Amino acid sequence: MKLIVKVFGRISEEIGESEFMIERSDNIASLKGEINAVYPQLKDLKFAIAVNKKLSTDSDKIPEGAEIALLPPFSGG
Amino acid sequence: MEKTRKPKNIFVEGAISPEKIAKSIANHAANHEIGGHSIFLGQVRADAKEGGKVTAIAYTAYEEMALQQAFEIREAVFEKYPLTCMHIYHSLGEVKVGEICLFVFTSSKHRKAAISACEELVERIKNELPIWGKELVSNDTSVWKENT
Repeated sequence: MKLIVKVFGRISEEIGESEFMIERSDNIASLKGEINAVYPQLKDLKFAIAVNKKLSTDSDKIPEGAEIALLPPFSGG
Repeated sequence: MEKTRKPKNIFVEGAISPEKIAKSIANHAANHEIGGHSIFLGQVRADAKEGGKVTAIAYTAYEEMALQQAFEIREAVFEKYPLTCMHIYHSLGEVKVGEICLFVFTSSKHRKAAISACEELVERIKNELPIWGKELVSNDTSVWKENT
C-alpha cells in the first residue's frame, strides 16, 4: 500500500510538488531510504518527518494509511 | 466547572493590522480581573541579502499540525502560569517589510505571569510550529529563512 507524503518549504520547492506517493515502509529509517532513492536531491537537505502530525524518530513504526510529512527546519515568527 | 478549551485558528491571511491589535486590547476592558498585559509583535525586517534587501516574507505552514501543536503549547502555558487570557496570531502568505507577522498577547492579574508566559510562547512558537518563511529579495530572488 502506498502512503501520501506531504512536503513543505524548501523541500516542496526542490521537488516541485506539495505531496507525493511512496511505497509504505515499516519504520521511519527505511522510509528515509525509500525517499532518498526516489528523490536523491533531498539527500543534503535537513528535515524532520511527521507521522500523523507528530514528530517521529527513526525507530518509529508507520501505521497503515498514516499521513507522512517532510518538515524542513521551522522558521515561523 | 472547568472550562474546556478547543484548538483555535491562529492563522491570519497576510499582515496583522495595527487595528486588529488595538481591537484585541480594547476587547479586554470588560475583564476587571486583569492587572497586566504583555504583547509581543514580530515585524518583518529588511535584512541585507546577496544582491539586495528583503522586501517581504511569504509564510506557509502545515496548518493542521501547527494548530494541534499551538493548542498543546497553549494548554501547557495555561497550566504553568496563572493567566486570564492568551491570544496567538501568525500570518500566512505575504507580509511586507515593516508589517506585523506575529502577535502574542497574554493577560493576568499581575505582570510577571503575563511577561514570562508571553516570552515562553514566542520561543515555543518559533521553535515548535511547522511554519516556514521565504524571504523575498529586491532582485527577485528568494532565501528560505532560518530561525536563530
